[in-house]
Amino acid sequence: MSASAENQGMAQWVGMSPERVGGRERVTGAQRYTGDIRLPGALHVKLAHLNCGHARILNVDASQALRLKGVVAVLTADDLPKPMPRFGPVYNDRPVIADDEVKYFGEPVAAVAAEDEDTALEAVKLLRIEYEELPGVYTIDEALRPGAPLVQHPSIRAADDPFRQSNILNEWCFGWGDVDQAQADMVIENVYRFPLVTHFPIENLAYQAAPEKDGVSVWSSIQHPYVLQRAIVTALNLPASKVRIIAPDPGGGFGGKGYPKYEPLLAFLALKTGRPVRLALTLEETFQAIRRAASQIRLRSGFTADGRLVFQDIEANYQLGAYADIGSRVVSKGSYVAAGPYHAPNVRIVGRAVLTHTTPSTAFRGFGIPQLSWALESQMDAAARQLGLDRLEIRLRNIPAKGETVIPGDKPVDGDWRMLLQRAANAIGWGQPLGKNHGRGLAIGMKNSASASASFAIARLLQDGSLLILSSTSDMGQGARTVFSQLAADELGIPLDRISIVMGDTALAPFDASTSASRSSVFMGNAIISACRQIKTQLRQMAAEAYDMAEDCIRLQEGKVICGERAVAYDRLIRDYYGAVRGEVIAVGTARGKYLPNHPLGGQAAFWEVAAVGCEVEVDEETGEITIHKLVTVTDIGKALNPRQAEAQDEGAAIMGLGHTLMEHLILDEAGRIQNLGALDYRIPTIKDIPLEMETILQENGDGPGPYGSKGAGESGILAVSPAVGSAIREAIGVTIHDLPLTPEKVWLALQEKRAGENSFARPLTDPKSYVE
Amino acid sequence: MNAFLYFRPQSLDEVITLLVRYGREARLLAGGTDLLVQMRHDLIAPQVVIDLKRVAELRADVQLLDGALRIGALTVLSDLIEDARVQQYFPALVEAASVVGSVQIRNRATLSGNICNASPAADTAPALLIYDAQVNLIGPDGRRTVALRRFFLGPRKTVLQQGELVEAIDLPLPREASGAAFTRLTRRRGVDLATVNAACLARRSDGVLFAFGAVAPTPILVPVSDNRLLVTSLDAAIRRAILDEVAAHTSPISDVRASREYRLAMVKVMAKRALEVALQRLTAAEAQLSPVA
Repeated sequence: MSASAENQGMAQWVGMSPERVGGRERVTGAQRYTGDIRLPGALHVKLAHLNCGHARILNVDASQALRLKGVVAVLTADDLPKPMPRFGPVYNDRPVIADDEVKYFGEPVAAVAAEDEDTALEAVKLLRIEYEELPGVYTIDEALRPGAPLVQHPSIRAADDPFRQSNILNEWCFGWGDVDQAQADMVIENVYRFPLVTHFPIENLAYQAAPEKDGVSVWSSIQHPYVLQRAIVTALNLPASKVRIIAPDPGGGFGGKGYPKYEPLLAFLALKTGRPVRLALTLEETFQAIRRAASQIRLRSGFTADGRLVFQDIEANYQLGAYADIGSRVVSKGSYVAAGPYHAPNVRIVGRAVLTHTTPSTAFRGFGIPQLSWALESQMDAAARQLGLDRLEIRLRNIPAKGETVIPGDKPVDGDWRMLLQRAANAIGWGQPLGKNHGRGLAIGMKNSASASASFAIARLLQDGSLLILSSTSDMGQGARTVFSQLAADELGIPLDRISIVMGDTALAPFDASTSASRSSVFMGNAIISACRQIKTQLRQMAAEAYDMAEDCIRLQEGKVICGERAVAYDRLIRDYYGAVRGEVIAVGTARGKYLPNHPLGGQAAFWEVAAVGCEVEVDEETGEITIHKLVTVTDIGKALNPRQAEAQDEGAAIMGLGHTLMEHLILDEAGRIQNLGALDYRIPTIKDIPLEMETILQENGDGPGPYGSKGAGESGILAVSPAVGSAIREAIGVTIHDLPLTPEKVWLALQEKRAGENSFARPLTDPKSYVE
Repeated sequence: MNAFLYFRPQSLDEVITLLVRYGREARLLAGGTDLLVQMRHDLIAPQVVIDLKRVAELRADVQLLDGALRIGALTVLSDLIEDARVQQYFPALVEAASVVGSVQIRNRATLSGNICNASPAADTAPALLIYDAQVNLIGPDGRRTVALRRFFLGPRKTVLQQGELVEAIDLPLPREASGAAFTRLTRRRGVDLATVNAACLARRSDGVLFAFGAVAPTPILVPVSDNRLLVTSLDAAIRRAILDEVAAHTSPISDVRASREYRLAMVKVMAKRALEVALQRLTAAEAQLSPVA
């Protein structure tokens, strides 16, 4: 579906970096986010939650709260239809509000709607909630223990589900060759852990809903408006045509705003009160609503003596929360590529989605891959050490060449991946002498992009020759509006300032599967180009009729219709074709990844998203603090449609990766409560924490399926940051840490253990504090 | 945030009257950088907020008195950091004040507020302790002065009595060459609370003073009588032994920021680093004072 051939020669804007559409509004505070919208007569909503992770709700007495002046309604499970409406992108398992049980710290038990926010908050404190705290499972190990309390009652699961009496939501098995028969010269086995982390978008989650004559309108800072529409349709049993989703540009999403959370609750409240309702979560509540799946990955890897992979035996347990959300897809899609960008002849992968009494995990930039890369790439280093091979060399020996198979039955290798690593190595001076306590690290990460999914775009050439593009991609800061404008501008020769991109309203813009999986530039980009090309076809047909010429004598150039000697402006043609009352030219473009019912993921990857990371770090031996002197990411982008935005997105992804690498982790207590709830003790990197030097290298080989040979790259920077840093720390001070994040204290502790002479195999692999191999 | 009464008195008399009238229900607002955060997070819910910013007698500057610098109750950290006299005589305080919050916070936060908040981790506290800061209080019974080392009673607890407030903090000017430094450990380089912080003051006559934060219920002062610490070339093992004794005065706990063991180890590292810089500065100060040969 590549659109590269036809327009290679006419790019004026593609490949340039014009000012970001909407950028000025974002940085000046002029942009109106979901929570900023003031609907006339709106009620303000606050949620009530319990101070524990798992409890049975015995009674909610709202009488006192309802007596408070300004309180209009209190909604609990009792006010909703029976059985409780449930929804979710994969399973309809999430109740609109806690039903009988609270299954995670922060799950709403009641919602209060009042004339103002302070009154709603005060009323929440007046609710008398009787509950019985129940034992919960808050870690993977606890959840998998025999006899552990069940997160999902077996009754809501399929009768033939083999795991219905356990906390395993799904188990996915992939593989090829025969691991058990494979003969390796050297085998290593390790367990790698990845912590609970949250997205921390600058804009907290916010929702509004308003009753309509025979339906409902819902506002949400959501990335995928049509996924939300489906959830409202399911939960409220309304036709989609009566459910309008308005999704203002989010202030950062990172996957955390992909899937519906409390929108159905707001919709019910709007219908119950007959008034618009607004709920803006606090930062703390946002932490309690979205997070990434933690993981525990056991890797057993076999190599030949010269460093070629013989087998990979992978057991990847992911910690989901109380409801599936998109978590099971994170596990299936992630574990499917668990063997990484390497040629391993024998592979066995078991991926498990494990339910726990915690915040439901959801999509998060990288979608299961940063967890795997941490394990896989750390393991490649361990193998290199064991075999006495250079860390770059062992990788180069195992990475397949372009056109070769990486996963049997799926898209062949679509880029020069060895080159990515080579360039990263060169950029950090691989092999050159190092200062004291300095070390270098290299890693590569591979993610499968979107598979079966569809994007639609409408192009409207208006009567004055200016252009509207209607698209349901969300511009959450990645710059989709800018790139789409560039693509349309070049296709139709219309100046950027005469193009508007209309997004975020299901009553206006057509279906799009999602703004995720680094898919928008490729899928929506192709759909927009397709729509623009159909407009051009129509313009030629219109000109042929209006000017009585043969269609093949008419061409389009620089925003004009060239008819022989005449160059006609679009508005002139529209006037000449429709007459004085005028009209417009409309086209619908589509792009689709083919649905393959027999493919484990429903379709092949549209492209492989691959990036290499190189870094040089320095470790303070006394404190364990890490300074990253240089960090380089090399991304296989195919073509950078807007190089400045591509670089910014890559840098942003890498810095985000440094968060889970160095400092981020949600700490739970024995009752499943988040101990570091909020910005004070959940630390993310600030501008002072970024590497002293950063470099983004965009590998542009024009070999992608997107416009101009592009591939998506919104996630590539985050995929392999952790193992590169871990590798560099190992070289700097000789310690290997298997559990992220690599906090100063953990590095210090590992050094103490090393000094105490505790050697490699002293600890069992199941010990959560097993820092050494 | 709960509703509250807001007063903006013009004089200290009015402030004291309000404080006496409302007692524990009243909170003082200077910069508000701690107060508002605590109110917004429902940690406190005062019924009365008394804004000090229009009180004529309270100063927002640094005055040179006879033998001391006086820092007014309303002096914000940004102004403190930029004051040439503070920079000259109290460099460790400048270093400490420079890492409190962000620029925006330092533009609002007052030194007095940082002390009255009585956080065990307050960054300015160790620096003020080594400089023997004196806190000038005023209340219904008049004025009194309390040494900072006696000011803190526990986390969020001070010697302030009902009706009392801080009028100014005095820093006695050094009477001899000295070297001082502040250092701290955080979980990240950007805005963060200290996991451990430390200040050190070295003088030939009085030996070495250490002060630490985040490792005891209050910021603590630890004087070292062993003058061998002043010797730059001191054997590392001996210095380590002395610093071990210094660290024994701390009683850190484990929390979400760090374990007790790590804090204990870091007290020694921070003490050593602060000492190194303090000794360098002492040597430099002495070189400046001694006549050229």
